[in-house]
Amino acid sequence: MAVERPVSEDPARVRHQIQTLILAVGILSIVLFAVVAAVAALSWFNRFGFLHFPLGFYLLAQGLLVLIVVMAFWFIRIQERIDQARAESEEWIGQ
Amino acid sequence: MSVPSRYRSSNPHLGAYYGIVTATLVSLVIVLAMFEQLGWSQAGLGQTMMLVPLALYLFIAVGARTGQTEDFFASGRRVPPVYNGFMLAAIAVGGVGFLAYTGTAFFLGFDAMAIGLGLTFGMLAAAILFVPYLRKAGSYTLPSFFGHRFRSRLLRAAASIAQLPPLTLLLAAEIKIAALLASLFLPLSFAAAVIVMSALIAAIAILGGMRSITWAGSAEFLVGAVGLAAVVTVVSILLTNLPAPQLTYGELFADLQQAETEAGARPLSPDATAAALPGVQPRPAVKPFLQPFGAQGPVAFVTLFLSLALGTAALPTLLARSGVTATVAEQRRAAAWGVLFVAAFAMTVPAMAAFAKFAIFREIAEAKASALPAWLTALSDMQLARASDGNGDGAIGAAEFLIGRDGIALALPSAAGLPYVLTALMATAALAIALAASASHLFSLAASLAEDLYRTFDRRQALPRIVAAWAAIAATALAAAVFLVIADVDPLKASLMGLAFAASSFFPVLLLAIWWPRCTKWGAMAAMATGFAVIAGDAILGGALGIFGAQLSAPLASLIGVVLALIAGIAASYVQAAPSRAEADYRLAMRNPDGESIYDRAQARAAAAAASSAAARAEQNEATEAIR
Repeated sequence: MAVERPVSEDPARVRHQIQTLILAVGILSIVLFAVVAAVAALSWFNRFGFLHFPLGFYLLAQGLLVLIVVMAFWFIRIQERIDQARAESEEWIGQ
Repeated sequence: MSVPSRYRSSNPHLGAYYGIVTATLVSLVIVLAMFEQLGWSQAGLGQTMMLVPLALYLFIAVGARTGQTEDFFASGRRVPPVYNGFMLAAIAVGGVGFLAYTGTAFFLGFDAMAIGLGLTFGMLAAAILFVPYLRKAGSYTLPSFFGHRFRSRLLRAAASIAQLPPLTLLLAAEIKIAALLASLFLPLSFAAAVIVMSALIAAIAILGGMRSITWAGSAEFLVGAVGLAAVVTVVSILLTNLPAPQLTYGELFADLQQAETEAGARPLSPDATAAALPGVQPRPAVKPFLQPFGAQGPVAFVTLFLSLALGTAALPTLLARSGVTATVAEQRRAAAWGVLFVAAFAMTVPAMAAFAKFAIFREIAEAKASALPAWLTALSDMQLARASDGNGDGAIGAAEFLIGRDGIALALPSAAGLPYVLTALMATAALAIALAASASHLFSLAASLAEDLYRTFDRRQALPRIVAAWAAIAATALAAAVFLVIADVDPLKASLMGLAFAASSFFPVLLLAIWWPRCTKWGAMAAMATGFAVIAGDAILGGALGIFGAQLSAPLASLIGVVLALIAGIAASYVQAAPSRAEADYRLAMRNPDGESIYDRAQARAAAAAASSAAARAEQNEATEAIR
């Protein structure tokens, strides 16, 4: 069984936590802002059309859902890079 | 030496097995479609379409039976991400989403989009904020996570009690949908259907716990997804000539608006959220599909969206599935797959609603009151729709045609002129998703009763873990069946209230427990108790007792509960001394994505200590024997 290093605060871990926090807050804020903006400016968006849909309707029925899916997979990609950086840093410190 | 199951890889033949499941469904539909042309009765077609998949789910559950603790509670921690994504999506959508959300979109049109958006954003929020950390913690239930995180049995028991209302409401809503479908297509009364469906999900859960629920549920998800996709795609081809329903229903809007105007639909003004949502009883569809904020204003729209999002993100049933994959990274991917599947469903629902409205209004406009279409007569026989010429003009207007919210999805194939076998396929798909969701809610509820209440308070622990879980599953299923036979539950409102409970009771405490290092045991307790009290107060005082006359809508009450719970949690944490070293270490270990789960590591240490102690005793005995 792999034994984990004793839990303690070190720069790599602090950096990892801050980057993770920024990523989480950033992604959730982008989506929330997009939803509120789409609702608030619905009439304006509906003046335009997209694929035979009024744009405001399209955004709330599909566009924002596509954004959420893209954000979910983008989050994985970035978070795995952040985790990888932490693991490499800890390996380097451990040597 | 036995190998711990968490080191075993998943079955490499899973793709082939579920390919066979999908092929079986497709073959069944083709064979029944041929039988329909040969004159088989609708009852025979409907029963065969329902019973064959039910037998398949039970067969898979028997094959996945287990008596090992880790398999029973965490599916052996080796479920591939895509399959866990299937289950996460099935739980988030459920039979309620399948039928009631479609019906709500039919009645409210644009205003219902808050539901799909809320469910999808909730899955994303869970994936980012909670899921990876709960996977690292590795606890089998959400209350046990709180117990381990804050070293508190009291908090664990309180969390278990707090999750009773949301999970009971969601379980009742899902069984109600399953029983409704079974009573429509099988020769069963509603009460008998409730008992049969409860017994079925209890059997699936008892056979193999999380393991059998995962593998039977994956088959159920595939049946649900393939069934839905097949029917909606065929309708799309018929109405728009293109097999891409999500992209093509916009082409119908001009004709739909014309049909609505001819039928007498007029723009409405907004109402409170609770009153705006359609109930179970048949009602007229008088709001134009594209009119924004006709049933609820922009504030109520955002409130409903946020409440559903926070409730989905903190739903104990979803979070209990955080421990079934092999690693933290795989769990993140599973959550992302779940987001994708829920989003695909949420994009399909408005297409279904628009197709159904167009097909129904077109038929109604052409029909005379004295000669109603056959599909409408069939729906009337099932008590899902009513049409009468109230004003005596010889035609049926929008206000004279009443249709049940949960019957819209079932009405779509027949209103579009498709064979009956596709109506039965749609019902089978909805039933499959309802069964997957209800079995998961049942297991989460029962596992918590057995693990977090029984094992916490019965120090003797007379019953082994799995036996206690079996007893809890059987008792919970029985209680849910009795409740549903007695009470008249509206699945959509029960589901919204359940998610409001989850948002208010668990979202703030999870946020503080995972993301705020200063959170203490009493801070967590204060957050959970405050959120629970606010939403329970709204449900009891305003809802059941009607003391305040005008009840706060559940979504608004849940958001107030979230804010007050966060304030209470932060205030109570600052009043207390800083968290102990053990609590701080647990939190830091939880934030480390590498290595084994904390729970498994503790179990391994306990097993090693027990083995070492046994070896020392044996050595001492040997020494004693030698001296003698």
